Amino acid sequence: MLMLIKSVFEWVNEFPSSIAIRESIYVYPAILTVHIVGMCVFAGLVIMMDLRLLGIGNNSTSISQIQRRLFPWQMVGMSISAISGLVLVYTQPMRFYPNVFFWIKTVMMLVAGANVLAFHYGAYRTVADWDTKVKTPLGARVSGIVSIVLWALVIMSGRLIAYNWFQ
Amino acid sequence: MMLSLFKWMGELEFSKALGASVWQFALVQAVHLVFLAVFAGAVLIVDLRLMGRALTDRPVSQVARDAQPWLIGGFIGLLLTGVPQMMQNAMREYYSIFFWIKMGFMALALIFTFTLRRQVTLAATGGTGVTFQTKVVGLVSILLWAMVAIPARLIGLFS
Repeated sequence: MLMLIKSVFEWVNEFPSSIAIRESIYVYPAILTVHIVGMCVFAGLVIMMDLRLLGIGNNSTSISQIQRRLFPWQMVGMSISAISGLVLVYTQPMRFYPNVFFWIKTVMMLVAGANVLAFHYGAYRTVADWDTKVKTPLGARVSGIVSIVLWALVIMSGRLIAYNWFQ
Repeated sequence: MMLSLFKWMGELEFSKALGASVWQFALVQAVHLVFLAVFAGAVLIVDLRLMGRALTDRPVSQVARDAQPWLIGGFIGLLLTGVPQMMQNAMREYYSIFFWIKMGFMALALIFTFTLRRQVTLAATGGTGVTFQTKVVGLVSILLWAMVAIPARLIGLFS
């Protein structure tokens, strides 16, 4: 499996468009900057939702309202960061492949996605019972804190990719 | 005068100590981004409300009051992690055009946020409270803070 992933990364590394962006002085920094802007929109609004789940922020707004109205903007932020992130990997696959922080970030994103699904198919199903309450059920609070910790780890490991430790 | 200040900052024991450990400096950079996300969320939730794009069933003033502790907390976190980075890289920052663009927009964004934006968000308005004025204030706020974050990322890439 690892060899297959490595082969894909090596294959992409030789694409003319990948090489062209890699060798450009301005395109890579521009994409990196777009990635940060997307991250701010996505993670910022996810954290605002998580604070509400924990009952320590945005408490005057109901949880369903926060979820429903912030969700489209979270998706906008996620799309910007996901597309720009994929382009970043596309341009320098062999820089990302051996980087431990890249893999930590990828795994944390998958776990964070699983946490979102667990929340929606778990605690959120009974939201009508606690929608306006400051103190939410344990499942919702656990989901909120797990989300904050995971996205913080995603952001931090994303920044640490710049350092080639453990390679 | 500014040059002397930056030289002095770069020569401080604290700045040298932070620069001596790559781990320490990298972690400060990483935590800075987490505070950036918190701060951005607190800015955006209010600006989207001002523009009538989110949470329109709550008064603007209420959304702003709720977000304020996280706005201020996020900004304090950014300062606590940003100033040491600036001190450690004092001369690089001094000669970076992006650093000065960031600082200029930060001054503008802070003044705007704590004067006009604050006045508009806390003003009592009927209905959804969305007017042409609130839309402009929300949009200007987003643009100003984006103009702080974007050059910040470019400092390290072009120096």
